[in-house]
Amino acid sequence: MHRLYVLPTLIINAVIIAIPALLTVALAFFEWDGISTPVFVGLDNFRALWDDSVFWTALTNNIIWTLIFLTVPIAMGLLAATMMLVARRGSKFFQVIYFLPVIIATAITGRVWQAMIYSPVTGVTGLLQRMGIDISNPLTETSSALYGIAVVDLWHWWGFLCVIFFAALRQVPAEQIEASRIEGATFFQTIRYVLLPGIMPTITLMMIMTVIWSFLVFDFVYILTQGGPAYSSEVLSTFAYRSAFYDLAVGKAAAISVVISLFGLAATIFYIRAQATEFEK
Amino acid sequence: MIRLKLLAATALIAGTAQMAAAQEKVSWWYEQATPDQQKLIQQHIVEPFAKANPDYNLVIDYRGNELDKQLRVAMLSGNGPDVVYTAGPSYVAPMAQSGQLMPLDDYAAKYKWQDRILPVFLKMGEYNGKIYALPKTYETLGLFYNKTLFAQKNWQPPKTLDELETLADAMLKDGITPFAAGNANWRGANEWFVTLALNSVAGPENLNKALRGEMPWTSEPFVKAIDRLNSWWQKGYFGKNYFSLTSSEDTADAMATGRAGMMPTGTWQFQNVATYGKKAGSDAGFVGFPSASGDPVFPLGIGSTFSIAAKAKNPDGAAAAINFVFSPEVYGTMNSAWQGEWNIPLKDISNVKMASEVTPLFTETMKSLSAAVNDGKYGYSTWTFLPPATDSYLINGIEEVWLNKITTADFLAKIDESFQKEMKAGKTPAVPAR
Repeated sequence: MHRLYVLPTLIINAVIIAIPALLTVALAFFEWDGISTPVFVGLDNFRALWDDSVFWTALTNNIIWTLIFLTVPIAMGLLAATMMLVARRGSKFFQVIYFLPVIIATAITGRVWQAMIYSPVTGVTGLLQRMGIDISNPLTETSSALYGIAVVDLWHWWGFLCVIFFAALRQVPAEQIEASRIEGATFFQTIRYVLLPGIMPTITLMMIMTVIWSFLVFDFVYILTQGGPAYSSEVLSTFAYRSAFYDLAVGKAAAISVVISLFGLAATIFYIRAQATEFEK
Repeated sequence: MIRLKLLAATALIAGTAQMAAAQEKVSWWYEQATPDQQKLIQQHIVEPFAKANPDYNLVIDYRGNELDKQLRVAMLSGNGPDVVYTAGPSYVAPMAQSGQLMPLDDYAAKYKWQDRILPVFLKMGEYNGKIYALPKTYETLGLFYNKTLFAQKNWQPPKTLDELETLADAMLKDGITPFAAGNANWRGANEWFVTLALNSVAGPENLNKALRGEMPWTSEPFVKAIDRLNSWWQKGYFGKNYFSLTSSEDTADAMATGRAGMMPTGTWQFQNVATYGKKAGSDAGFVGFPSASGDPVFPLGIGSTFSIAAKAKNPDGAAAAINFVFSPEVYGTMNSAWQGEWNIPLKDISNVKMASEVTPLFTETMKSLSAAVNDGKYGYSTWTFLPPATDSYLINGIEEVWLNKITTADFLAKIDESFQKEMKAGKTPAVPAR
């Protein structure tokens, strides 16, 4: 009888997640413009992706994005969190400051950066240009557009990791930290041998989620550059979006979505395995 | 007590519904409109329509930027509005193809649309020999220029492409950006320049052939057109900040203040040109974009279209509403207040009354455009005549050409491949014969 309790969530899950997901997977094997009857084309959509240079640019960009977000914000978050742990005074204040960008709506963050920092008319870039410094809006250069977007997302994101890590660090038993201090460990030794091992499960979880989120990234890219200029900041999700709603190639978009989910699936399997080994210990 | 209140409320709702049912509801989903613009539609369309047609209750639902996507999903499930409002003929073809729209030929006969609407536009709404859509507004591209600056420097508005290039080079020397242009808010701005190059370098005759599939897009005239456009980009005509400036306000400001000399853009910019010109105290002029021969070509574009859903609950009401929009009164009142967006393709606009504050430049331009269309001397805009995937590639691909990622030949080869594929699938919009 108690199994009935899962029924409501199961139904919701089936209706809004499982069925659309399965339909998307199925659509990846069809050619469909979103209006007329879908035509079965087998693996054609995937074959077309394989030959499409934009697909490879987008995939590479997603991988670069993942690497950036696996390192920079996690390092920044860990550093700031340990510092707040050591210097307790003012830590509440800094937590609020660091966390503030997280609660600002993505669209607003994007527009603020676009207009106040990057814009050559109204932003800091423009100010520097008028002072005679030869600097251009990073979002408009093919070589820097992706990094320009990553900076905005980092600014908005790392505070979240910082607060999560800080919460985890406070769970590390105080006796362990005290003991290391009595033993004469330096600040970095304390981090390396006491704090980091203490919060390893949290870090692993955050890293796996980072991989999944990195392959889903859409909002900042779409708001700031829409994947341009010349596809240089295209990621898989913006590519799928354009295929579906501008090119009216829903089948191709579904195929791209399947590729995105494969990466998420790999990360999830890795996570479940890591969890399992932890339990065995 | 609560039950009593509930009962009373239900009775009240039922009563109002009964009253509303006396009038048949006509639903129309509209795109993005500011509260002021919504007020204009209410004042100049909904209210006078209600007065003229007491049987129908026209309800406009503002769906914002997502209109197209919502429409597509709603039409699939058969729950769409009566009046189907799309972003252009290339959206109509797939809908007509899959039987989601109603042929309008009977209504065209009933309301005598053939006599009242410019024939080219009726032709453009055809699919398989039947009318499925009426264009709401038509537009063209041309060259705005800063008249005050031109007088100061003793420059003449260019007529030929060579004159344009000489003038632009002179501007570059003086530290003035030749073209006020940007795509930060609207990536589609890229295709305005491609459209201009295709029409003025390759010419409308060649475009007509290519659009009917009689000539590949890789042919020499198109190569020349894209090469020439690219040379303008490489020389810096579009300025340093193209990707950072908005195609509407920033560019109008740049031209009005004289930081840029000219602005190749569409008739939808008239309002901004007037606003920013007033602010900067400069005058603006408008000419057709220069061409090889010196005769300007006006590329024709359609902003949006009206159709009736095949599953419309009230097709007669929808036809009456569409018909109402095609009147000199609506043309005059809407165009006076909201220039460029309501340039309804009426055959005869001599009776139209425009408000006195509308710039004469706009009225003149629209008259010469209507004459050019009537004489068959018009060009083709890519957003109206290319099928969706080809157009989407054109917008993004041209950036690759400008930024030296691919060559003109690669670009055109991809355009051609995509176009032939979509043509085979029946997705290309109708192209009237020349």
